[in-house]
Amino acid sequence: MIDRREVVLKNSLIEIERLSVVVDEFCQSHCAPTDLAFKFNLALDEIITNIVDYAFDDDAEHEIHVILCCTDGCIQAEVIDEGRSYNPLAAADPDVTLSIEDRPIGGLGVYFVRQMMDRVDYRRDGNRNCLRFARRIDPADESPEHGDPAPGEGMRD
Amino acid sequence: MEAIETRHGGTVVIEARGRLDSNTARSFEEKLLGAIAPADPVMVVDCSQLDYVSSAGLRVLLMAAKRVKAAKGRLALCGLKPHVQEVFDVSGFSSIFVIHPNRAAALAAFP
Repeated sequence: MIDRREVVLKNSLIEIERLSVVVDEFCQSHCAPTDLAFKFNLALDEIITNIVDYAFDDDAEHEIHVILCCTDGCIQAEVIDEGRSYNPLAAADPDVTLSIEDRPIGGLGVYFVRQMMDRVDYRRDGNRNCLRFARRIDPADESPEHGDPAPGEGMRD
Repeated sequence: MEAIETRHGGTVVIEARGRLDSNTARSFEEKLLGAIAPADPVMVVDCSQLDYVSSAGLRVLLMAAKRVKAAKGRLALCGLKPHVQEVFDVSGFSSIFVIHPNRAAALAAFP
């Protein structure tokens, strides 16, 4: 059974909290541990913040679509925007071992998405950026290490 | 998101409550950076009522740590909830901040 929920957000940071309520409810309805909802909220927060801050050249209102689905024991989220072409997975991982003095301000958002999810992929579809990420629902699965597959591999529409 | 400032002797305690995300980071930044004394600041950020933090929130804490360090002061955190602790662990912030289990322990660690 595939359960699917779509949320349409405006390109405004205040939308993130509204989305978090939907994510909590969606994860709860699939008996996912609260930790999984936290991971999805963090990943979505980071991606949507990037879109709101950098994707659009004008000050007009734009839509950001978030599609949550649950299939084969995984929760998957897809974020779609019509902003400028941007593949967040092309960015290098930050060095998380640097001291306070040497640590740059920023650069952690996409790293969090990679760390919190089992799979992440990006594609440019016409004028749209589509970023998908998924993680298995398993209360016993606390392993932080999950390799990144090639883009598109193992993901489900 | 709320940030409540109190003083305990020479130590400034900022209690962060609620969600520290990209939407609330700006007001927290003003409050936290504004509370840093120009010389020898001694500060504790109490996170025991902090439910959520994103990279935007970590950014503010890192800015404060850099300023406190430049002013030859001391900054400690305390009371991180498990989800917040996880974000600190993944980002490597657990090893660059002094983190105490609770406010009493943080205050006791400062002379």
